[in-house]
Amino acid sequence: MTFSAEKPNMIEFRDVHKYYGDYHALRGINATIKAGEFFSLLGPSGCGKTTLLRTIAGFEDISSGVVLIDSKDMANVPANVRPTNMVFQSYAIFPHLTVEENVGFGLRKDPRSKDEKAKAVAEALEMVGLKGYGKRAAHALSGGQRQRVALARALILKPKVLLLDEPLSALDKKMREQMQVELIKLQRQVGITFILVTHDQEEALVMSDRIAVMFEGQIAQLADPETLYRRPASRKVADFIGTMNFAPAAVLSEDASGVEVDAQGFGRMTLSPDQVMGGATSEGNTIGLRPETLTILFDGQNATDREVFGTVEEVVYYGDMTYYDVRLDGAAEPLRLSMRNVPGRPVLDIGAKARLGWSPSAAVLFR
Amino acid sequence: MEQGSKKGRFGGSEAANGLLLISPTAIYATLLLAAPLFAVVVYSLMVDSKAGLAGGLTFQNYIEVWTGRIDRALMLRSLTVSAMVTLVTVLLAYPVAYFVSFHIRQDRKSLWLFLITIPFWTSYLIRVFLWKVILGYNGVINSGLMSLGIIGEPLTIINYSIGSMIMTLAHAYAAFAILPIFVSLEKIDRSLLEAGQDLGESKLRTFWRVTLPLSMPGVIAAVLIVFIPTIGDYVTPELIGGGKLPMIANRIEAVMLKQNDKALGSAIAMTAMAIVALVSVAFLLLNKRFLKGQK
Amino acid sequence: MNRNPTLKIYTIAYLIFLYAPIILLPLFAFNDSKVIAFPLQGFTTNWFAEMWADQQLFVAFRNSLLIAVTSSIFATILGIFAARASTRYKFPGKGGILGLIMLPMVLPEMIFAMALLVVLVAVGVPLSLFTIILGHVLLCTPFAMAILTSAFQSLDRSLEEAAYDLGETPASTFRLIILPLVMPGIISSLLICFTISLDEFIISYFLGGNQTVLSVYIFGQFRFPAKVPAVMALGFILVCVSICLLTIAEYFRRRGIAKTGGKDTGGFL
Repeated sequence: MTFSAEKPNMIEFRDVHKYYGDYHALRGINATIKAGEFFSLLGPSGCGKTTLLRTIAGFEDISSGVVLIDSKDMANVPANVRPTNMVFQSYAIFPHLTVEENVGFGLRKDPRSKDEKAKAVAEALEMVGLKGYGKRAAHALSGGQRQRVALARALILKPKVLLLDEPLSALDKKMREQMQVELIKLQRQVGITFILVTHDQEEALVMSDRIAVMFEGQIAQLADPETLYRRPASRKVADFIGTMNFAPAAVLSEDASGVEVDAQGFGRMTLSPDQVMGGATSEGNTIGLRPETLTILFDGQNATDREVFGTVEEVVYYGDMTYYDVRLDGAAEPLRLSMRNVPGRPVLDIGAKARLGWSPSAAVLFR
Repeated sequence: MEQGSKKGRFGGSEAANGLLLISPTAIYATLLLAAPLFAVVVYSLMVDSKAGLAGGLTFQNYIEVWTGRIDRALMLRSLTVSAMVTLVTVLLAYPVAYFVSFHIRQDRKSLWLFLITIPFWTSYLIRVFLWKVILGYNGVINSGLMSLGIIGEPLTIINYSIGSMIMTLAHAYAAFAILPIFVSLEKIDRSLLEAGQDLGESKLRTFWRVTLPLSMPGVIAAVLIVFIPTIGDYVTPELIGGGKLPMIANRIEAVMLKQNDKALGSAIAMTAMAIVALVSVAFLLLNKRFLKGQK
Repeated sequence: MNRNPTLKIYTIAYLIFLYAPIILLPLFAFNDSKVIAFPLQGFTTNWFAEMWADQQLFVAFRNSLLIAVTSSIFATILGIFAARASTRYKFPGKGGILGLIMLPMVLPEMIFAMALLVVLVAVGVPLSLFTIILGHVLLCTPFAMAILTSAFQSLDRSLEEAAYDLGETPASTFRLIILPLVMPGIISSLLICFTISLDEFIISYFLGGNQTVLSVYIFGQFRFPAKVPAVMALGFILVCVSICLLTIAEYFRRRGIAKTGGKDTGGFL
């Protein structure tokens, strides 16, 4: 899905700060989340992503700044009246109630009749694929079922925003992948804003319309998954999302059309302005290339763009893929790249000479 | 916290909410425990005569306690008895806790603990008295042995002695010793023991080098839980000792109520409390050493 | 698991040691002799009749019941406040305040009974059942707090937040979520405080003035050998009641564990 500018803002953070005593947990968050968007807060543990989510829910007060939900300032609006509902990391299923009672928990003050409420509960259960589970005791459910109850319980209240605090982290890999797909479908079906907190970059890439990558209480980059992957704003973001090869580079000249650099092992190239990022470390300028943008050229194959030469230093065979560490002639550090093991394609040995095909258009410069 | 925490997450700041919530209990404990203890401290520094308590803070009572033959002897007897009771109780309890923790199936453990705790919840007075029935001059043991013709005269060494007091108290506090040891044994990761044996130690040596040190916090908790109440025990010396072997609690009662010397009585009570506190702190420090490196 | 029977034999011997005095209770309660000694003299229920006829015992029992019910309720309420505060909030002086509340658990009873007595007399409060209750609440609160703290601790904090998130107020969250989940702990606490209060002797003895309660009555009876068989009968009944109460307490404790989906680690306290 794509999001045009006319979509209204659902959530707005304006210079949000949060202190726990001396600890500065949120350091000036500015961001806008659109209505109907599947938005992810991604980052390592302790980066403030859960804190930020909880400031939306109202469980965490902010020290300064403004949080707007649907254009309304949320200062002094307690959690129980905010138009948000949350799926907790532990699911927080009330163990003394049945599945039905859990799902219908938030309807206690709803003026509708008992029958109408029961119907709403049944519909919510059906929506999350738990039709007929209503009478079960909540503590007897499996992890995946608890997750679904938590979803139904939150969605039945028709919130404007659904908050998901690492909802898949407690599930095993297979279940997790299944729930990812179901969550995406569910979001499309109900059409409301989903905000997901996760430390799993793959999960964020798969599920989100847009992602905010957070480090140390700040948003390092806010972009759609493709931009985030192909044009990471800094080496740190690039490192956190997938793998990236870095090579030291010297800037030779620069004008409005682009930057000419000389990268160790790759030689000279000209990069367009959109390939030039900030975020270089003290190590100086570097160029970055994703492993899959590098290809080993076997006999008879020609590079579509450019060719470089190197030596294989490490081979890891993964069945469908083979991972190589190749050191380019004249480079200090080896590059990591991966090749699909298609029939007839040999697996190179350590020490073998390799010819690599690559393209400057896939590179980014961190400076 | 910063200004944002003024209203707190559920209304009111966290610290204020916590203090407000605990205040009924805290006020109760302050009025009925802290204040009386403070009063006893003040009393112990005054002089009690026929005319009533007189002011002027003095250590006279404490000097009397520490130099008086009776007080010193009773203090020493209380310490000896409770030290012996603690030793016997904890030594006897450890294998039981070990057995339940290591040799009983998980789902049966609470049943065993239940069995162990039942006698402990029956009237303390009656339990103590029953030991008198067992150990007394015409008691169960003597009458039993005599009717079997094993002895001709009742044994006198088993009744009204320090030994029978220790026996009675060791029985009374058994559950107090077993439970904390059991809890600490339960916390031990079983793979540590396998690791011990895997690294070439015998079962006995593994117990000595792994299990015992790891269960020490429980043992020390047991020591404190048994030692503290036994040093102040009143009932056993009255019933088992027949009033002839008073301990410090009986002495406090006698001085405070029978001699009506509240100042001296307070000083004895404070001295006893100081000794208890000293021993407790010593054991807690010991515990800290064992806890080092554990969570 | 039982490779070595020594430990098992030892444990069984230890259990016999634990139960030995209690087994004597029914023996002498039904023994047709004024003297508590072997050999047994035949079966009688006279001692129960004698016990039943004792007016003083009835008064003492009624007093004890009143004290135990009142003390256990108040101690549990105070325990709820303290346990909730200690598990849920951080506040200055927490360690000191909790230490003071828990102190009666580790303080020789005689010392705080005397301290309380001295102050009550000095302030001019007449000794009565009320003063016993004051002491018993103080004594029971740490036990109530210990039981309730573990009940409150096993509550997942996000359950509360979830209820709040779903539109409930803090008060209704407490009523709908917290209270039902800690209810087994509350019942355990009530039963255990009741048992402690019923059994307590020193405070009842010194703070009761001329009012008699069960433990003081029993203690008094021991001075008259002729009364002892009736006390055995009474003791036997008390043991039976205790076992019933404990079984109920254990049942609720287990149900509480099952409710919150926890693992049974067993044992009181």
